[in-house]
Amino acid sequence: MKRFSAYEFPEYVDWRPDPEVQAGFAATITRDPERAALIDALDDDALVDLYRGLVAARLHDVQLKRWVKQGVITKAWLGSGEEAVTVGSCAALGPDDVVGPMIRNAAALIERGVSLVDCFAGYLGTTDSITGGRDLHIGDPDKGVIPPISHVGDLVPVMAGCALAFRMRKEPRVALTWTGDGSTATGAVHEGLRTAAALGAPLVCVVQDNQVALGTRMEAAYRGDFTAYGAAYGAMLLEMDGNHVLDCYAATKRAVDACRAGDGPVIIVARTFRMGGHATHDEREARELFDDAVYRHWGQRDPVGCYETWLVEQRGVDRARLEAVEAEVAAQIDAAAEEAKAGRGVREPDPATVTDGVYAAEAG
Amino acid sequence: MATGNTYIEAVREALLEEMKADERVFLLGEDIATYGGAFKVTAGFLDEFGAERVVDTPIAEAGIVGAAIGAALMGLRPVAEIQFLDFLSCGFDQLTNFAAKAHYRWGAAIPIVIRGPGGGGVGGGPFHSQSVEMYFVKTPGIKVVAPSTAADAKLLLKAAIRDPNPVLFIEHKALYRAPALREALPGPDAVGVIGEAAVRREGDDLAILSYGAMVHKSLEAAAALAADGIEARVVDLRTLQPLDDEAIVEAVRRCGKVLIVHEDTRTGGIAGEITARINERAFEWLDGPVTRVTAQDTPVPYNKGLEAAFFPQVEDIEAAARRLAAY
Repeated sequence: MKRFSAYEFPEYVDWRPDPEVQAGFAATITRDPERAALIDALDDDALVDLYRGLVAARLHDVQLKRWVKQGVITKAWLGSGEEAVTVGSCAALGPDDVVGPMIRNAAALIERGVSLVDCFAGYLGTTDSITGGRDLHIGDPDKGVIPPISHVGDLVPVMAGCALAFRMRKEPRVALTWTGDGSTATGAVHEGLRTAAALGAPLVCVVQDNQVALGTRMEAAYRGDFTAYGAAYGAMLLEMDGNHVLDCYAATKRAVDACRAGDGPVIIVARTFRMGGHATHDEREARELFDDAVYRHWGQRDPVGCYETWLVEQRGVDRARLEAVEAEVAAQIDAAAEEAKAGRGVREPDPATVTDGVYAAEAG
Repeated sequence: MATGNTYIEAVREALLEEMKADERVFLLGEDIATYGGAFKVTAGFLDEFGAERVVDTPIAEAGIVGAAIGAALMGLRPVAEIQFLDFLSCGFDQLTNFAAKAHYRWGAAIPIVIRGPGGGGVGGGPFHSQSVEMYFVKTPGIKVVAPSTAADAKLLLKAAIRDPNPVLFIEHKALYRAPALREALPGPDAVGVIGEAAVRREGDDLAILSYGAMVHKSLEAAAALAADGIEARVVDLRTLQPLDDEAIVEAVRRCGKVLIVHEDTRTGGIAGEITARINERAFEWLDGPVTRVTAQDTPVPYNKGLEAAFFPQVEDIEAAARRLAAY
């Protein structure tokens, strides 16, 4: 896909496939027979949809960064480099399932069909988004997206409760949430996992280990091993390559199937890497946390570039088709951003409504 | 001996009736199913409703409150028991940051009830006696109910379960089995109204505003005052969020003098808020300083003598009332 030198990480700007990394990407697909079969069952349309999701996630972030540079917004929390975790996991869900994304999983909103205008308007604080400007953490329960709060980890018990409701009503639905390596330190994640496991709730909890929490490397905060969580909590545990959208899809599909079969919760550990800062304001500080070689290593494993290369070179998907998808998504992003931006100063919440809606009015 | 039902039986009856009336209502909490609850509020519920609707949880208040929120988002009506409300501090974040703000942020109703025993006077010590209400009264988006009678315990718990908002329902543990509180309970169709105070005793010389167990101590004090010709109006607030401003203003207008009594600690207790509201809305009718009798600004001590010195006693209320009446 087209790269944006003004907005993307240096390793992505001149990204070229590396044969060894691409061989590893292909090998991951066939490593586990069950996952290989799930991936094999995807037709070209499904595969291209995954590409569409990755591109939308990347361009969504590029747009936010453009706005930061233009002064439209002051900062943005990006999922760049971690898109495969979000897009792959969402692809494994059905329309009746629910997700609880972190702000870094904004791609989940797009995957679930929340409009791009809503996504951008959330940052602008206009009335276009579901919160009407009251919060930038958005979602849409009608599309199965529960908005997060800033308190990382707090979604895990809440999503466990969603899953409990499904179990109680014997509905074949699943709740999925992501939690960072950093937020696994919270009591909320621990209690959420313990509660979900005790109650047999069909919850998929993806530990999105991007190796850093704000400005502290993961090793400084955790001396253990996330893959031990399965035994520790009494839940099925799977690992997945967090930069590999097909592996994320297949692993999550297995987890979701297990939940639907009554074997939830499932914990999935996804190893990935935060290529940027905690947000756009501290990318320089983030760069100082790791050696350049680490950035080069993970930069070469760009989830978009690796998948695109695999689609064209291994799967034989026509590059022109991918370019058409990219052009289509780019146009949608541009249009949505423009429409959202046009709401500034126009679709602003009425200050007289500041006290409205603290409580739900109707008994129900 | 009084006949009728106790306060704890009223709580139990409200839960039973609401679970029978609405299949979305379910209970979760520590030791509530097999064990029947630490205070046996839900004894027998497991047999009647099954494990899907009476859910034992780990000792995880954030897990309990969070799971209640999630289940509510998916259309259920969870009633979460916190074994002692002191432990709600462990689920504070879920209640104050997730549940309380959801409707304001994105229009999501969170119809959950967090219920359990609060208050002290039973030798529970620092961690089984606290008045937790003001942590939540000051958090927009939560309703806080604290009944003082058996009938209200039933009526208001039913109202709380039917309310579309997060409701903290504070049952006073010292009242659970108090024989004097036995009374005939309203039938299954009666439901209370959250946000309405009740006048427990008529009088025009001064008004005593209180809630929970202190309503009964205030009534005792009022009876002693009456022997000397001082007639106190005793108002049971019943709900702390929202406060019944009309009832408070009415009390000021009728009596001109107001004594606020609570067993919560003094600083940041509801008395300060009520005093401010009286200043804003009814200052002209005051004939004396709004006065308060409260617990001390300390943790709740364990030793009986210390505990008695910590909590307001009938004599404290009576003495403060006499001073105010003579003002």
